[in-house]
Amino acid sequence: MRVQLDSTPRPAFVRSRLRAAACVLLAAGVPAAARADDAAPKYQLDASGLLYGEQGRANVVEPVAKLTRLFDNGASLGGQFTLDVITGASPTGARPTTSIQTITNASGTSSTVQANQLPVTAFHDRRMAGDIDWTQPVGALFNATSSAHASVEKDYSSLGAGETFSLDTFHRLITWSLGGSYSHDLVFPVGGTPVGLTAGGAFTGVARNPKDVTSVMAGVSRILSRQWMVALNATSIYERGYLTEPYKVVSILDPVSQNPTSFLTENRPTRRSRYNITASSVYHLTPDVLYASYRYYWDDWQLGSHTLDLRFRHELGNDSFLQPHFRFYTQSAAKFFTLGLIQGAPLPDFASSDQRLSHFNSVTLGLTYGFKPHGYPGEWTIRAEYIAQFQKVNLGPTEGTDGAPVQTAPDAFPLLNIGTLTAGYSLSF
Amino acid sequence: MKRFTLGMIFMLLAAPSPSASAGKPAAGAAPAFRLPAVHGTVALDSLRGRVVLVDFWASWCAPCERSFPWMNALHDSLAGRGLEIVAINLDKERSAADAFLAKHAPHFVVAFDPAGEIAEDYRVMAMPTSYVIGRDGKILLTHPGFDPKKTDEIEALIRRECSP
Amino acid sequence: MTRDVRAAALALALAALASGCAASAVKPWDRDLLAQKKMRFIPLPMEHAVDEHVYFSKEGSTGGMDLAGGGCGCN
Repeated sequence: MRVQLDSTPRPAFVRSRLRAAACVLLAAGVPAAARADDAAPKYQLDASGLLYGEQGRANVVEPVAKLTRLFDNGASLGGQFTLDVITGASPTGARPTTSIQTITNASGTSSTVQANQLPVTAFHDRRMAGDIDWTQPVGALFNATSSAHASVEKDYSSLGAGETFSLDTFHRLITWSLGGSYSHDLVFPVGGTPVGLTAGGAFTGVARNPKDVTSVMAGVSRILSRQWMVALNATSIYERGYLTEPYKVVSILDPVSQNPTSFLTENRPTRRSRYNITASSVYHLTPDVLYASYRYYWDDWQLGSHTLDLRFRHELGNDSFLQPHFRFYTQSAAKFFTLGLIQGAPLPDFASSDQRLSHFNSVTLGLTYGFKPHGYPGEWTIRAEYIAQFQKVNLGPTEGTDGAPVQTAPDAFPLLNIGTLTAGYSLSF
Repeated sequence: MKRFTLGMIFMLLAAPSPSASAGKPAAGAAPAFRLPAVHGTVALDSLRGRVVLVDFWASWCAPCERSFPWMNALHDSLAGRGLEIVAINLDKERSAADAFLAKHAPHFVVAFDPAGEIAEDYRVMAMPTSYVIGRDGKILLTHPGFDPKKTDEIEALIRRECSP
Repeated sequence: MTRDVRAAALALALAALASGCAASAVKPWDRDLLAQKKMRFIPLPMEHAVDEHVYFSKEGSTGGMDLAGGGCGCN
């Protein structure tokens, strides 16, 4: 229920800069940023601010600042701090109905929801995260990046580390990467950990629930021509531990009217294996650049997705550019996703009505404007994006108690509209 | 999952083997060239009898910026003792090269090879690459890349060759 | 897609990517465009990080071009 926007360490940030540097240096390297009139820059400052709004629901403000120290031999050390302030309301997973309903949430507290309105719960949270990454070139062709992160919020904490290696081969035409990371998270729900698939008020007594996430990534990138480079990455992520959303509920539906009569806390498996394969392409159209990527994702909760992402950087001259962005995403539901459990039917082991596990499509339209104000240091970007999630939810005929099919209304869950505004600033000194 | 891992391993093993002649810059007699320079033309043949440092560079190459001050210092101290520096530019656009030269005024000869033909003859493997050519026209040393902290070997060789 | 088909497709795509005549294709002096800062898979890292967070929080999938690194109770 929280619109959490997390900040994760990005070792690839610095690594990709070094990898893209087409110059080979004997024994020691110079970062790609070294193009100033003076000596090579020693520091890089990157800052960004995000304003995020969901219609009628969450609002997030997220400033991020990162400082990187660049060394002559191509090594770099970076530290990043992120602050997430979230206010708003998030859906509980309960279905809207044609009449006023009283909802008892996972902690046993009751609230009233108007007719035809999606039940939500208000929240306010603040999250802080810190990331460190260190990149060390070994020889002219090999790079090692180590990273660590820590984050904490009202009901969640995370501590993790990762390592990525990259190797340039064939005169830097082909670059191989291999990486791994591990994160130990703790979920400590406000009010206690509810027992899954029970009517609110029952708690497990466990205050802090661990969740371990291990991931492995392998990738290869290749320069195909003077203008074109492509890459293929594959990632496996294993999650073990407490994976349930403690504040979300699943409706129990009356078999005849399909109206929710009561609620149960949701329950998800304690393991999840997730995979994705991403193909990316960067093509220089002198002077514009086209970025395209396609990701195929699947996991053992039977959730699968396809993502197509296109960006076109159009140079306007004077070091400024306009970059429209289009993203299309389609997701198929997790096997235990349900819009409601029929009263009287045997309880499944796992059930969730979290819309994020459902079957939906999403389209993003965005525009970035980048510029360097004349006479002032640094580069700026301003970006506005609009994300629309839509799904046709038709429950289809279900069987009533007498065995006859019962048609139910479509669009049980409404459209989701998200608007974001991101400002970015980058300075080398 | 096992099949996924196998796929990864297969990918890593599927790398091609490099061809035999790739990866070795030119050696032996330095390939001849005649190229347009900032003023007039420059031909390697006409430099026989002098120690020639041929440097392949481009405006977009970060280490190249740091190599120019070093080459200027070499030129100033050794031009009178037989050193000739020819910096061959490989930019596709002359304007980019000119902008670079305006910022790093060279004391030495700068020639232009936008099609990369001479770079091909010298089998340049990295940007920048320097070749030290002896008075007899033979390549004595190939120095790929540039790091201001690692110029001892090439500088010592040039100084040795330039002593009368 | 079945697991076998996925693994086979991945292996083939990677082998195709990694094979072929590499050395003669793009000369060192032809890397002028590739040397530009915008010629990277992630040219704007801060913007990319924002994207990763937003979509991680609102969708059921995760990961992509860099390594996933946990950190929030989102999905």
